[in-house]
Amino acid sequence: MAYLQQYGVYIAIVLLLMYNAAFTSNFISVDNFRTQFIQMVPVLIVALGMALVIGTQGIDLSGGAVMALAAAVIPLYIGYGLIPAAAMAIFAGCLIGVANGAMIAFIGVQPIVATLALMVAGRGIALVVANEQLKSVTNPTILSLGRNSIVGVPYSVLVAVILVAVVALLVNRTTFGKQLVAVGGSRRAAELAGLPVKRILMTTYILAAALAAVAGIVATARLGASVPSTLGNLIELSAITAVVIGGTPLTGGKVKVVGTVAGALLLQLIAATLIKNNVPDAYSQITQAVIILIAVYIQRGKLAVR
Amino acid sequence: MITPTGTPRDATVLEARGVTKRFAGITALDNVDFTLHPGESLALMGENGAGKSTLIKVLTGVYQPDAGELHLGGTTTTFARPLDAQRSGISTIYQEVNLIPLLSVAQNIFLGREPRDRWGLIDFKQLNENARTLLDTYDIHVNVRRPLHRLALGMQQMVALARAVSIDARVVIMDEPTSSLEAREVETLFRVIGLLRAQGIAIVYVSHRMDEIYRVCDSVTVLRDGKSVHSGLLADLPRVELVSIMLGRSVEKTKRESLTAFGSARTSSQAPTLIATDLTRKHQISGISLEIRPGEVVGLGGLLGSGRSETLKALAGVMKVDNGHVRVGGRLVKNGSVSAAIRAGIVMLPEDRKAEGIIPNLSIRDNIVLAALPRLSVGGFTSRARQDAIVDVFMKRLRIKATSSSQLVSELSGGNQQKVMIARWLAMNPRVLLLDEPTRGIDVGAKAEVQALINELADEGLAIVMVSSEVEEVVEGSARVIVLRDGSVETELIGDEVTEHHLLSALVGEPITVTKELP
Amino acid sequence: MTATPLRKALFSTVACAAVLTLALTGCTNTGESKAATSGGADQVVKSSDGPTCALADYKGDKFELADAVVGFSQSEKEDNPFRIAETQSIKDEAAKLGVKKLIVTNAQSTLSKQISDIQDMISQGAQALIVAPLNSDGLEPALSVAREKNIPVITIDRLLNAEGCSDYVTFLGSDFVEQGKRAADQLIAGTGGEGSIAILLGSSGNGVTTDRLKGFVDQMAAEAPDMEIVAQQTADFSRDKGQSVTEQLLQANPEITVIYAHNDEMGLGAQAAIIAAGKTPGKDIQIYSIDGTRNAVEQVAAGAYNGVVESNPRFGPLAFATLKSFLSGEAVSQSIVIEDGEYDPSNAAEKVDLAY
Ligand SMILES: Nc1ncnc2c1ncn2[C@@H]1O[C@H](COP(=O)(O)OP(=O)(O)OP(=O)(O)O)[C@@H](O)[C@H]1O
Ligand SMILES: [Mg+2]
Repeated sequence: MAYLQQYGVYIAIVLLLMYNAAFTSNFISVDNFRTQFIQMVPVLIVALGMALVIGTQGIDLSGGAVMALAAAVIPLYIGYGLIPAAAMAIFAGCLIGVANGAMIAFIGVQPIVATLALMVAGRGIALVVANEQLKSVTNPTILSLGRNSIVGVPYSVLVAVILVAVVALLVNRTTFGKQLVAVGGSRRAAELAGLPVKRILMTTYILAAALAAVAGIVATARLGASVPSTLGNLIELSAITAVVIGGTPLTGGKVKVVGTVAGALLLQLIAATLIKNNVPDAYSQITQAVIILIAVYIQRGKLAVR
Repeated sequence: MITPTGTPRDATVLEARGVTKRFAGITALDNVDFTLHPGESLALMGENGAGKSTLIKVLTGVYQPDAGELHLGGTTTTFARPLDAQRSGISTIYQEVNLIPLLSVAQNIFLGREPRDRWGLIDFKQLNENARTLLDTYDIHVNVRRPLHRLALGMQQMVALARAVSIDARVVIMDEPTSSLEAREVETLFRVIGLLRAQGIAIVYVSHRMDEIYRVCDSVTVLRDGKSVHSGLLADLPRVELVSIMLGRSVEKTKRESLTAFGSARTSSQAPTLIATDLTRKHQISGISLEIRPGEVVGLGGLLGSGRSETLKALAGVMKVDNGHVRVGGRLVKNGSVSAAIRAGIVMLPEDRKAEGIIPNLSIRDNIVLAALPRLSVGGFTSRARQDAIVDVFMKRLRIKATSSSQLVSELSGGNQQKVMIARWLAMNPRVLLLDEPTRGIDVGAKAEVQALINELADEGLAIVMVSSEVEEVVEGSARVIVLRDGSVETELIGDEVTEHHLLSALVGEPITVTKELP
Repeated sequence: MTATPLRKALFSTVACAAVLTLALTGCTNTGESKAATSGGADQVVKSSDGPTCALADYKGDKFELADAVVGFSQSEKEDNPFRIAETQSIKDEAAKLGVKKLIVTNAQSTLSKQISDIQDMISQGAQALIVAPLNSDGLEPALSVAREKNIPVITIDRLLNAEGCSDYVTFLGSDFVEQGKRAADQLIAGTGGEGSIAILLGSSGNGVTTDRLKGFVDQMAAEAPDMEIVAQQTADFSRDKGQSVTEQLLQANPEITVIYAHNDEMGLGAQAAIIAAGKTPGKDIQIYSIDGTRNAVEQVAAGAYNGVVESNPRFGPLAFATLKSFLSGEAVSQSIVIEDGEYDPSNAAEKVDLAY
């Protein structure tokens, strides 16, 4: 049981892979795995930011809205090239992070309330920025970010891998990472230890927003279109699920980066399995819920045993 | 195991036989036997980490033992959860207050047993009245409608006590109940214990304070490293012997090392390290001025609500003052900024270790280096080597008992957690050390170490301010005692005036006769 | 203690707003496709048989639209071309006819908000209502208020589960089953009746999804029983889901040669997936969908998409015309089904301006 609790998410991944290898046609192929990795990128990147936020005992519901805003900003600046457009998209996303962080750190608004407000407002702003239009993105550089590979690794997956490495390094090897989990463990104690708690919270929400913006850029590149109305809708929930399945407790004070990657991969495999086997939507929703509940239950057990 | 020396009483209320409890890497209880008779008042003694709290948690259904069994009134029983134990008449005050901060005092006392009106809703009028009557019986004066978190820690402990005795109990277990209480509250507690004993209720009492043990208990069970090493009557057991059993040393060795380790405290004539002028904050403190010199330990005396902790908080930048200022080495320290205070060299060991001190989800190492992290890092990256250099030194110096520095701090016993907190601040090389109850919950051995450490640090030139609700500790440890009353300085005791008698009189404003029970 | 952080917070919020405003004003005119709303084809009535409704049956007074306050309750957020075009068309027509006052509300996809929206508009003096119901059920509380005051209610685009000429006056809308059937016809014509089909369904539990599926499946069974539907999965009417789901389906079922999507957005997502899979959309794998948005129709014109059945959102002229004749005492049909257009490679280029 202890083993199960420690490795529940990995066991679930292996079981799903085995099931698919046996029953899903064309599953074991390089192309298929590439597709799964490409598709999980946006959820994974948002989940990385979510893991940081949850580590501070917070929550960020505005990830999808930030993706939409990033998507809306890209067409405005893509004329100057991918880098300036991406920079502006990330900058716009960061502003949402600043608003989140300011409300939470300085005014003391509950994270769920503050980020819920920006979840709604952020998408609204995105639609206004986009003039409520869907726009095709034709710039070849950004399209290649979405579609091309380097030595077999799609650029978008490469971006995700780099971000995972950076966040892992941040959490495990930097002063900021340690301070972040300290704030999540006991904000009061961290304050009395002289930690710049407000700055830490602010930085965390900005980082989460920046990551979500990158997710928005990658998703837009892949889609070849800026779709602020639906892009990233409810992605926060998938991200939270991935984080929690991956072993980061919602009570904060701990960030599991590799677990988060595994959580996102598990969600992706569940979705793929259900679609590929043509399971009707109602059943597939129930199945997803059940699998997630089991995974979360196992994780919860792990915490209870601690 | 030494057999009980007293006349054996056959009836038992609560018994544990061969109880073993393991945590990852540690056997907290190893085949422990424990017997409690009706009406008995039993002291459960042992060093920090000996397993006292763990045994209590096994007895009350918080933990399930890995081996062994419990007997209640002679029959074998298991408690799947704390509520089962409570229903069987075992009432517990845990070491760390575990009431619900946002609920009122009255709601906390009668949680789960609220009086109902005819619609099945909580009858608040009745509830508050019941609570007031109960508290009045024990002379505890507090507004029962206040949310619990607004009360001082000591008062919260009294509420926990009221809750424990209001449950129709056969056994009341108290894990270090006095560690956050005032002298006066301790008296109240003892009165309550007297009343309980008169009703034939058995008491299990955990404390590191010898005086108390000999005052309220008639028998003792000693744990050492998770084993029960002694059970017997206290009357037959001189204090030194009890301590030597606890520490596992010879009586001679224990005798040689006196029980409080404070040397002769010295005043200093050097220029003050810290000068505070006219610190004032509405309803908390008014016009407090003090000077602390290098190498000096200054005690802050006062009753609960006298503004002792608040004064420390103002000095440490935790509480912003409306008026007045603090200087260290002549430089003004920014008002209300913890980080500014730390930069100036002022650090504070907070009173409420659980809520304000430890970060439970982090390792011992991470807790120790928390404040010093930026200076132990290279370009924002942490350096394990630099951390270990510091952590290892302090774990040895303070004798922190743990499997390794990577162990979670929440798994440590209360005393060891306190040592981790002290290590965190010593790692900062402070100039001014503010200690709020530095030896709370620390066993005799470790207490002596901490006190010796305080001396040593003073010798090294630190300016130290100490708040302690143990009068003896204040008197023996301080060269100077500043007595506060109602938020301002009442008087200052220097040199020969620093005696328990003087201090107690100054505290309450009238002379008190001190009876000290010695073995 | 609180002053500084508060000021910081306010500053950052203001800064945030300022920068966003800059971003907006600088860029509103760079839109690649202009919202072509009233510029498109007006709705044409296809059928209006069945029971009728006259002012005398419904009860109420005659009045002129020019002196009237009219309320319009939009159901869903205006974040898709259909809703944007629908609202715009109502507004444009009201302005054209010189309606004294038009109150427009949006229920933001929340049923309770739509109920209170309608009640609010009535209390603001609306004398006639045009309602795009969010759901076929659940609006009774709002409708009963209108009923008491004899305020005529014209419902558009989604049929209510209620009684015509009693709970409401009339319904104007497309026949979604028919749309599915026509998509099937287009598909059969375009493929010559050969190939394997994958269907991208709209949101589950949505009546539009059910109807567009039924019309399609029935017609396929009747006209091209040899064509196999190998997969049908929901993509929630959204482009990115359309892309992800299509990718999965194409990998699991390489035999797929045609995709039928319940709306254009999902079809465009499928198109991106086909490109990513290294195939040519419109040739290797054909795409058919329903809606008639400009983006999709342009693709048809460019040969990278095979057919679009229109679902005309421009209810303004027809709704107000119906209202006007009803108020003048004429009997109007209780169910007016509109004629939807169709785009295929032969006409897309010339008709692209009709798309919305
Ligand atoms: N949840 C836990 N997980 C791991 N180890 C634990 C846990 N709880 C207690 N321990 C370990 O068990 C031992 C006994 O701890 P316990 O809290 O019972 O000591 P104690 O006698 O109450 O000490 P103190 O006087 O300091 O309160 C200690 O070594 C402690 O580190
Ligand atoms: Mg203990």
